[in-house]
Amino acid sequence: MDNILILKIAFIGASITLLFIGLYAVLTKRNLIKIVLGLSIMDNGLNLLFITMGFVKHGTAPIFSPLVMEKLKTVDAAAQVMVDPVVQALVLTAIVIGFGVTAVALALVLRLYRHHNTTNIDEIRNLKW
Amino acid sequence: MVAVNPIYYIALPLFFAFLLPLFGKIHKELIRIVPGLLYAYFLGMSFYMLRHVFVTGQPYIVEIAGWKAPWGINLVFDAFTGLIITFISVLAFLVWLYSYRFKKVEFDNALKYFVLLMLVTAGSMGIVMTGDIFNQFVFLEITGLSSYGLTAYYRGRDGAEAAFKYLLIGSLASTFVLMGILLIYTQLGTLNMADIARNIHLMKPSLKIAAFLLLFMGFGIEAEMFPMNGWAPDAYSQAPGPIGAVFASMTSKAGLYALIRLTFTIFDFSSVSKLLFIMGLLTLLFAEGIALRQEKIKRMLAYSSIGQIGLIMVAFSFNTYLGVFAGIFLMINHALIKSLLFFSASYLAYNSPKKYIKDIQGFGKVMPITSFLFALGAFAIIGFPPFSGFWSKFYFLLAAAQKHYIVLIVLILSVSLVELVYYLRVVHKLYFAKPTGDYEPHSPNWNGMLAMILLALVIIAIGVYPDLVTHYIDKAAVMIMDKAQYIHNSLGI
Amino acid sequence: MNTLVLLLLIFFGGGLLTYLAYKISKVVGDILIAILGLAGAYVFFTVSSQTSLTFSLGGFTLGLGFSEYSWIFGLLLSILAPLALIYSIPYMKGHDRLEWFYMLFLFVIGGMFGILMAKDWVTLFIFWEIMTWSSYLIILYSRKKGLDKIGLKYIFFSAIGAYSLLTAIVVIGGTMRTLSIAETISLFGVLPLKAQLLIGILLITGFGVKAAVMPLHVWAPDAYTNTPMSFSAIFSGAMSKMGIYGLGLVVVNMYLNHGIGSVGHWLAWFGAFTALFGTFYAVVQDDARKLLAWSSVAQLGYIVTGIGIGTKLAVFAALYLALLHGLFKGTLFMAIGAVERQAGTTKFSELRALIRKMPYTFLSALIAIIALAGIPPLAGFVGKWMLYESLITSGHYWVVIFLFFASTAGFLYSYRFLFGVFLGQEEDDYKDVKEAPALMTLPMLLLALVLIVLGTLPGFIFKPLAYSMQGLGFTDISYHMSVLTNSWGNSVSLPYISWTLATVFVLFLIVITWVNHKGTHNVSTKDIHTAGEPPSEEDNYHFALDFYKPFMRSIAPVFKYSITRIYNAIGRGIEDFFEYVRRFYTGNAQTYALYVIIFFAILLLLANQIF
Repeated sequence: MDNILILKIAFIGASITLLFIGLYAVLTKRNLIKIVLGLSIMDNGLNLLFITMGFVKHGTAPIFSPLVMEKLKTVDAAAQVMVDPVVQALVLTAIVIGFGVTAVALALVLRLYRHHNTTNIDEIRNLKW
Repeated sequence: MVAVNPIYYIALPLFFAFLLPLFGKIHKELIRIVPGLLYAYFLGMSFYMLRHVFVTGQPYIVEIAGWKAPWGINLVFDAFTGLIITFISVLAFLVWLYSYRFKKVEFDNALKYFVLLMLVTAGSMGIVMTGDIFNQFVFLEITGLSSYGLTAYYRGRDGAEAAFKYLLIGSLASTFVLMGILLIYTQLGTLNMADIARNIHLMKPSLKIAAFLLLFMGFGIEAEMFPMNGWAPDAYSQAPGPIGAVFASMTSKAGLYALIRLTFTIFDFSSVSKLLFIMGLLTLLFAEGIALRQEKIKRMLAYSSIGQIGLIMVAFSFNTYLGVFAGIFLMINHALIKSLLFFSASYLAYNSPKKYIKDIQGFGKVMPITSFLFALGAFAIIGFPPFSGFWSKFYFLLAAAQKHYIVLIVLILSVSLVELVYYLRVVHKLYFAKPTGDYEPHSPNWNGMLAMILLALVIIAIGVYPDLVTHYIDKAAVMIMDKAQYIHNSLGI
Repeated sequence: MNTLVLLLLIFFGGGLLTYLAYKISKVVGDILIAILGLAGAYVFFTVSSQTSLTFSLGGFTLGLGFSEYSWIFGLLLSILAPLALIYSIPYMKGHDRLEWFYMLFLFVIGGMFGILMAKDWVTLFIFWEIMTWSSYLIILYSRKKGLDKIGLKYIFFSAIGAYSLLTAIVVIGGTMRTLSIAETISLFGVLPLKAQLLIGILLITGFGVKAAVMPLHVWAPDAYTNTPMSFSAIFSGAMSKMGIYGLGLVVVNMYLNHGIGSVGHWLAWFGAFTALFGTFYAVVQDDARKLLAWSSVAQLGYIVTGIGIGTKLAVFAALYLALLHGLFKGTLFMAIGAVERQAGTTKFSELRALIRKMPYTFLSALIAIIALAGIPPLAGFVGKWMLYESLITSGHYWVVIFLFFASTAGFLYSYRFLFGVFLGQEEDDYKDVKEAPALMTLPMLLLALVLIVLGTLPGFIFKPLAYSMQGLGFTDISYHMSVLTNSWGNSVSLPYISWTLATVFVLFLIVITWVNHKGTHNVSTKDIHTAGEPPSEEDNYHFALDFYKPFMRSIAPVFKYSITRIYNAIGRGIEDFFEYVRRFYTGNAQTYALYVIIFFAILLLLANQIF
């Protein structure tokens, strides 16, 4: 089997594992901070998955620089070794968004803690039915 | 024309939102006035552009930074998205007018409030207009983050709790959406919705289903679909009153729009409407039934709002022209009427210390105009003519009858009876019992009153003369049914 | 301007104008509503049957215009409405928020005219709903304690009716591709039987609610009782007729004219039951207003029976009774309103002997009661005669027995009404009661006069009725001023029968009076003959209490089963169910997250079924 494929599968496996770890934390942990951490882990798993999809072995930056063109001569050949720029852009955006969400979440946790004196999610149930 | 461009809807609020603190440094009042000017401008621009689209039939397409459509991000202002943008603009303006001097908002708080308000409108409008699915995700997050902030706007204990619930479920939604986008991108290598729609048959069937379900989940959460709407009643009831109206008329509608775009344009499943139908019906039945047993007025309105969204989903799931027509009409009506109800209810609830329905008894005497407008909203949403709610309900039932769904009609009308009971109970409370005395009356400010009266007038005007909107809805319904036209508009092929 | 639009404008625009007028000055408002009422009636009489109007709204082509059939109901309305409005001026004096009351009052009347001139179902439904919510708000108007429940009951049952109507309308629109009433009727025969039954039964349910057909009548007694009496006159007198109008359209025009008789037959039975049980309930009431309300339910039962039977004579009788019921029930509600205003109560157990204090009120009530009970020579007799004849000739003997029993029992409450309010010994409590103002007595007396004329010379009304019957497909009605040609081919000369019976009746009365006169002497109600035995606490001092005790004892089993209780149980069941369901939203954010994941898992598992 191709090394690349194994590597890719490993990465995909790792990111999916991260996703499920995060989900596990979100669904079972009672501590608000652990839930927020879970969300963050899920985000990271997903970002890794994105990156994996754009992975190219011995890839170069997706710029048609004179250096690359000199080495590979044609545009098509150059495109073959370039990593996908779109997923990188997407991941960058997603990371920023994930950071924002985590920050807001932690701020909320802080305020919840001040009002309830606990970070146990089971005890914060004033709004129901 | 330079003064009209769909990109302003997104760029200007983002720009001014972050400049607002600086305006505050110049003069405190500018914080309140600048968003208003912006919304007034949007109002004019929407009507101008919608009229133009309506007359010429040519949509406004903007390609951002000059990149051509499949590669760059494009914004589409056509008969359908334009209509939604227009009524979001109308409501944004009215929400601004209502909250111009809302209760006792301090200077600091007013700044945060208006910044978040501008972000949430920018996000909602972005979700509706963008032609790029990842861009839609970004706007979804902008909307989400600013909504969390607005939910927790009152610094009380329950606001934070509601916001946390919203955030948790909202994050799951964004995870689902992102995974769906990833699946589509790895398969088709494009993010443009029109381009995806054109090539969707190339996807592996199993992955196509997975991608659809992931996106369906993600946007379904935003659209408050059962059983993923646990956060919604909390968020609606804890956010400031006008923000309840924003949730009902903008964010949930944006999620709904994304769902509609998903089922009507992007994917080519013929049986998806069945899923939308079942989920819409469940949403409707659960929410309206539970609304019957609510003790707090804003929570009751929240459940009622969720129920209405279920009804809209059912209307779109008919997949016929008349069904879509009714669905769009319901969307507009729901946005207008529910905003009026939230506006008036928030003053009613503001005066009762514990926000229970039983605490607002006798307010018909204390706050006559607000109570009257609440009653008018209740009548409109129940669907009495000559208020606008009647027409959308009538078109909906006509669409159902056309598909021979007699049992559905009976079911929907039974739900309407439930709705009638719980709304009129509140109205009775307003007018029948004597005030308990356990309140300090705060009558709405002139601006709040003006906003409510304007809404009421629009509701009556549409009710008496529905042709004001039906022509536009007609064009919009044709547009959403015509997938090829959308692809043509976006990609030029 | 088109007279139809003018008519609607008088009531809807006038309603808004009234609101402003009362804000300015009560006097201006009072004058305005009198003018509007009379102007409305005048404009109605100038409308010809050819006048019509077509317009487009919301993508539908809608039309206005009176038909021959609806004209007769418009006639009733235009007699009753101005009189009720004029009566209302002194009656409502001193109440606050009059601007609301009169605005809604005019909206109700406008809504009814709208229903009658609607040429398509959409217009009909719009005006139907405007009428409904306006009347609902009038029930709430006085804001007395307990009225919110009554109002909710009224609007809830009205909504059941309206939604049945709406369902029928959209089914018509969806299957027949038309919303015009005339086209629906003419194309009705083309539909498959299943659709015919569905549409018809839904329409009958919808109209039946307003016509207070059992078991959809539960709103009516409370609603009729609890509005100001000047509105009750319209509420019971005219608005219930909108239901009758619709039932006529469905049963006669849709079913019978396309050869389906069984639905009407069933409806006749419902009507007969309504008549019987409505009468029972009327007899046992202690409140005169309630008695009248139940009596309305019972009377509507007769009319529904007539419509249901659907032969020429039966429908003719039903329309005749409908018209009459509007007139005499209008009079009676006005009379009891006058009593309420002057004496302060309407309870039989408190009222007595107002005959000398309020002679004009008594006179008009007497005439109306005679018309109601169907005693010759007044008009009710003619109507009942025709109804019985039509039932017997069409072979509905059991229905006749029911109705005959009901109308016999009807004498009981008729008598009780007169006796309890106006007769008996005078008491000091009501020493200072005076006759109602002229603006109240005049409308009553005018209506009473109309009743006398119609009773003795029914031909006056036979002409418009016969004209109206054309709208239902019955063309050859022959009548003279006082003679109706019956279905056996004989002509029935009603005045002979009427006058003969009346003479016998009066002679009998004179004989009875003569015979019993000598043995009577005047006593006060406090004068209790106990033969030396002091009365105990439980003894009844007031003669009007338990007036019909033996009769009530014999029909007591009827009251054991109450449909209201079943409705309440259903309502409670639904509320409890949702009280349980709402625990689904536990308030725990993690549970909500779990729902999301479970839902996603279910979707994935069912993916093969879905796609």
